[in-house]
Amino acid sequence: MKNIMGMIYTGERDHQLRDLTTERAVAAVPVGARYRLIDFVLSSMVGSGMRNVGVIAQRNYNSLMDHLGSGKEWDLHGKRSGLVILPPFLTQDNVGVYAGFLDALRSNLHYLRRSKERYVVISDTHMLYTARFDDFVAAHEASGADITLMYTRDKGVRRNGAGRYIQVEEDGKVTGLEIDPSIPRMPYTYMECFCVRRELLINLVDTAVSRGQYHLTRDLLMNGIYQGTLDVRGFENTGKVWHIDSVQAYFECSMDLLKDDVRADVFPDDRPVLTKLKDEMPTKYVKGCQVKNSLIADGCIVEGTVENSILFRGVHVEKGAVVKNSIIMQDGLIQKGAELQHCILDKQATVREGQAVIGPRSYPVVIAKDQIV
Amino acid sequence: MLRKKRCVAMLLAGGQGTRLGVLTRQMAKPAVPYGGKYRIIDFPLSNCSNSGIDVVGVLTQFQPLELNAYIASGAPWDLDLVDGGVFVLPPYHTGKTGEWYKGTANAIYQNLAFISQYNPDYVLILSGDHIYKMDYAAMIAHHESHNADATIAVRQVPWDEASRFGIMNTDADDNIIEFEEKPKNPKSNNASMGVYVFTWEKLRKYLIDDENNPESSNDFGKNIIPAMLGDGQRMVAYSFNGYWKDVGTIESLWEANMDLLEDVPEIDLHDKKFRIYARTPGLPPQYLSADVKVSNCLVTEGCRIMGEIDHSVLSSGAVVEKGAQVLDSVIMPGAVIKAGAVVRRAIVAENAVVSENACVGEETGLIAVVGQGAVVPEGGCVKAGEQLA
Repeated sequence: MKNIMGMIYTGERDHQLRDLTTERAVAAVPVGARYRLIDFVLSSMVGSGMRNVGVIAQRNYNSLMDHLGSGKEWDLHGKRSGLVILPPFLTQDNVGVYAGFLDALRSNLHYLRRSKERYVVISDTHMLYTARFDDFVAAHEASGADITLMYTRDKGVRRNGAGRYIQVEEDGKVTGLEIDPSIPRMPYTYMECFCVRRELLINLVDTAVSRGQYHLTRDLLMNGIYQGTLDVRGFENTGKVWHIDSVQAYFECSMDLLKDDVRADVFPDDRPVLTKLKDEMPTKYVKGCQVKNSLIADGCIVEGTVENSILFRGVHVEKGAVVKNSIIMQDGLIQKGAELQHCILDKQATVREGQAVIGPRSYPVVIAKDQIV
Repeated sequence: MLRKKRCVAMLLAGGQGTRLGVLTRQMAKPAVPYGGKYRIIDFPLSNCSNSGIDVVGVLTQFQPLELNAYIASGAPWDLDLVDGGVFVLPPYHTGKTGEWYKGTANAIYQNLAFISQYNPDYVLILSGDHIYKMDYAAMIAHHESHNADATIAVRQVPWDEASRFGIMNTDADDNIIEFEEKPKNPKSNNASMGVYVFTWEKLRKYLIDDENNPESSNDFGKNIIPAMLGDGQRMVAYSFNGYWKDVGTIESLWEANMDLLEDVPEIDLHDKKFRIYARTPGLPPQYLSADVKVSNCLVTEGCRIMGEIDHSVLSSGAVVEKGAQVLDSVIMPGAVIKAGAVVRRAIVAENAVVSENACVGEETGLIAVVGQGAVVPEGGCVKAGEQLA
């Protein structure tokens, strides 16, 4: 599949993720014991045969850059193509921050122009999903559409007042699109992932921006659909999809990963989800530990009790400590006798000996990076 | 002409490993899995990487397929370099002549041209048979400060085992005055670890002389070292006190895995400053179900544990179904232990399957082995000391 390139927008709208996104882009939020959010879409792209992927960075992209590096872990460190990171930059035409997705694409038209692939798949990073983009593009090609939008019927991702919803006819035509309605009226959720011919995209972006339009969905897609200037179609993603737009949603998605069928869907055997490697040794379960229904990365030491939880790499749960229904990110330390319930500990956080942090089920407590409780 | 290097490492990975039985039927010994996510060769390769040695030749001969695929570009060890890197060096034919590696010294002799490209000061000779963490840079510094022609790493072994090793008798200044291969009555317990540093010019001379001697068996321990000693070359010992384990037999490989389950293992694989690197398959995190019973185990990513595991090492992607028991065992990558099966004091090799209600190994006696890809049938039994291919 040499004919598809990918672009990933690692954007804004992260205010409801509280402390998890104060220092990092949503795309760089750690998830699933050893991944960052971006790993899923990036690995899907690589698994679908894409060898040229541009990542549009917006703000606080430091940890994202650190994570992606040269793209080696995704086999994207090629000579002719590979991983290209596209942060905003200041020139006579650019103000140093992207006004929107469309503006980001305009600033990077040179990248789109010099790429050789026939099709582009563009995805945002608020949704956690895996996809077979090769099938997506094949359907797009077969339908003859100008743009194909990926959508899900999963009601779990719908939010009042936030989200993009679409109306799809039986023949696949998209006839309606609404953005952030207070009550969603259209049946399916647009996953903010679409496919388009590269040259058509260049033309559309250039035309839109030259008319003062900066919002991709509102200006370009909506005009195209309602004015009939574009043939827009829908493609259903039948896999699991999560909309990571709040701490609660993040927590629910994480807990869903404890289910066998969900993991089988998200981690297909033939298309691994790849991530930055840390070369941690296997996890040590010490005599006397109690572990139930948990997803655990390498490099941990478990001496205490861990139930219904997710432990990232290098977490240490000391003797007598109890971790239930919680998410402990990389290098977290839960000291002797400490107790955690419904908590999300960001990286390198410590809970001191004997301390208890018990959050309400509906509103998990977030303990920020490097904090000591 | 490539850029000159201070030291080039040559890793002897051609041993057949017959004492590992079915485990080396389909792969060379250095490719044998160890410790959940490693292979034996990860230790010398990571040691090189951590010691700043960036040219490593790996000499292969038997069943090299799995080893070649594993090493590939050398990226996991940071050995995918423009200026240097890791090179797999099989024996080759030159048109008129060509032969298998006749011995350890001959293997290096056949690759003199490879070493010459880098015009190194020193050549480090390693083997792919041991689990150990060692800073070779310190050994090279020792070699330099003693102005030696050859330096041999030694470690003290229990006196009653000394007659199984090549023993170095030294004076007070670490000078080797005598070398005895497997002596009946050892005079010291300084055993050679098979890790040598040679000054390149000296090594080249002795390898050429050795090749021209039809009587020689072309072996470092039997021929090169005694010849250099006999000529009065400056030979020094370098003492190493860390963990070092030969994993050349089924029992020792099992023991080396069990060593990692000690409360404070002698070999620290958590150490961030001296990492042991490995090629990993990109599997999801390990999942332990609500029914699991786990005690004193090492478990690796990709594992799915639903049964009982005690005092065992479980490698990448291993599966232990509900109602299965794994005790005092090593489960290698991708192996599956099905419901009701009992595995104790055993090694279950890569992608092997222990079917429902089968049993492998016994509470006492020798280690049982299920070979790579082998299937123990439903209700079947592999007794202590038996090997199933």
